[in-house]
Amino acid sequence: MIRFIVFICGAVVMSFEILGSRVLAPNFGNSIFVWGSLISVFLAGLSAGYFLGGRAADINPSSRKLGLIISAAALLLVTFPLYGIPVCDRVFEQVPGLRSGPLVASVILFFVPSVFLGAVSPYTARLMICSLHTSGKTIGSLYALSTLGSIAGTLLTSFYLITLAGVQTLIVIQGIVLLLVSVPLFFMKLSCRIGRTSGAE
Amino acid sequence: MKRLILAICCCTVFVCAAASGAGAADKVVFQKNSLYQYISVIEDPAKRERYIINNRRDLIQGGMAIDAPNRLILEYTRMAFMTLAYLGREPRSVLFVGLGAGSMPRYLNRHYPEAEIDVVEIDPDMVEVAKKYFSFSEGPRMKVTVNDGRVFLKRTKKKYDIIFLDAYQGGEIPFHLTTVEFLREVKARLKDDGVVVSNIISPFKNKFFDAMIITHEAVFPQLHIFKGRQSDNFEFIAPMKPHDLAGIAVTAQKIQEAKKLDINLAIIATSGGEASEYRTHARVLTDDFAPVNLYQHMQSPGK
Repeated sequence: MIRFIVFICGAVVMSFEILGSRVLAPNFGNSIFVWGSLISVFLAGLSAGYFLGGRAADINPSSRKLGLIISAAALLLVTFPLYGIPVCDRVFEQVPGLRSGPLVASVILFFVPSVFLGAVSPYTARLMICSLHTSGKTIGSLYALSTLGSIAGTLLTSFYLITLAGVQTLIVIQGIVLLLVSVPLFFMKLSCRIGRTSGAE
Repeated sequence: MKRLILAICCCTVFVCAAASGAGAADKVVFQKNSLYQYISVIEDPAKRERYIINNRRDLIQGGMAIDAPNRLILEYTRMAFMTLAYLGREPRSVLFVGLGAGSMPRYLNRHYPEAEIDVVEIDPDMVEVAKKYFSFSEGPRMKVTVNDGRVFLKRTKKKYDIIFLDAYQGGEIPFHLTTVEFLREVKARLKDDGVVVSNIISPFKNKFFDAMIITHEAVFPQLHIFKGRQSDNFEFIAPMKPHDLAGIAVTAQKIQEAKKLDINLAIIATSGGEASEYRTHARVLTDDFAPVNLYQHMQSPGK
């Protein structure tokens, strides 16, 4: 189950990034600056998420808290239609630069959700590492799953989902999917005591 | 392992062969991987013509006859000037979205030297290529801005008599230049008697073609479609005020004679029709929903 969640979070990150380009284009166009802004902001969010997620995972990790992280991202996506276009319009008026415009809009819209989604992988790894002998394997397979999810999210979105529904609808649906997968985390009693024994085996 | 290496070698040879572009006889004059595309300038020594081709395909982005650089050698560039008949007067301000080889703005500048011409082109290398290989030059009445076409239109305060939409990346129009919101922004930058023309390539009647009809009709009071006789190009002409095609043919004839144009507008006028002749089922493209790339590869359900 928890592996499936990591896969889904990986898929949502990249799908959201692809859709993000469509959110930005009406105001900022399709220039190389838009793509550069978008990709770097997502990567910045993810790396902050990895860092903070890893830290948070060392303080009484529990599946409930992981559920909270994912539902925080979910909430931002579900409410995206309320603020997505208004933010872009506003930034377009206030920030005239060809580079700074899309960069500022990307930071406002995409940084925080990608922090939350980035935190999922290290946090899950912490929850799953119950034996130090296989921690490498656990971390490796979680990264693989997360990245496989990202591939699935990218291909599915760019090849098919774009023809099926509007961009805003797709983002809301992704939020709902995140909410759904976070629900079982509130009931799982997944936690690891290995931290408290400080690895002395 | 040896077989693998052999296979890779074969692939490489194949790719290189494909990369050499159009025909074996064509001479490659210039190649560059720009920010947005792979630009090659090639020459056909027999026809004495020079073209810009893209992304290692034969799709021609622009062209020029070396010995007659002022002729419009691509059919669609001649068709686009049907807009002059819709305007019915001398154009004072004109915008081109997408430069290509720059033959259209150059032609307009030559025949209407008083007109103020703006060109917006996203790819700085394309501007260099147009200047170096296609006799394009900027002047007091012809200015190029390197920017995204939509961003330019949103920022500009100017109003235009004619807007030419011809922005292609590879074989596709970027989605944000196809939507109903974009066309409304175009309309907002047209004068009361202005006209917009969109160059639509549709080798077979695809779903994108249908969607573009519906989307233009959602914004403009009228849409006429001119069909290329030698090419897969369609020119979608949408004026701010409706005109009838018979009247347009008469005006086209007059302009052609008065301005001594070397393009036969009167003949092109006969290739025009009401958009309703193409009545089809499609959805209006919006900023939220515009699967342009996928629609271009889907057969129109209407025909």
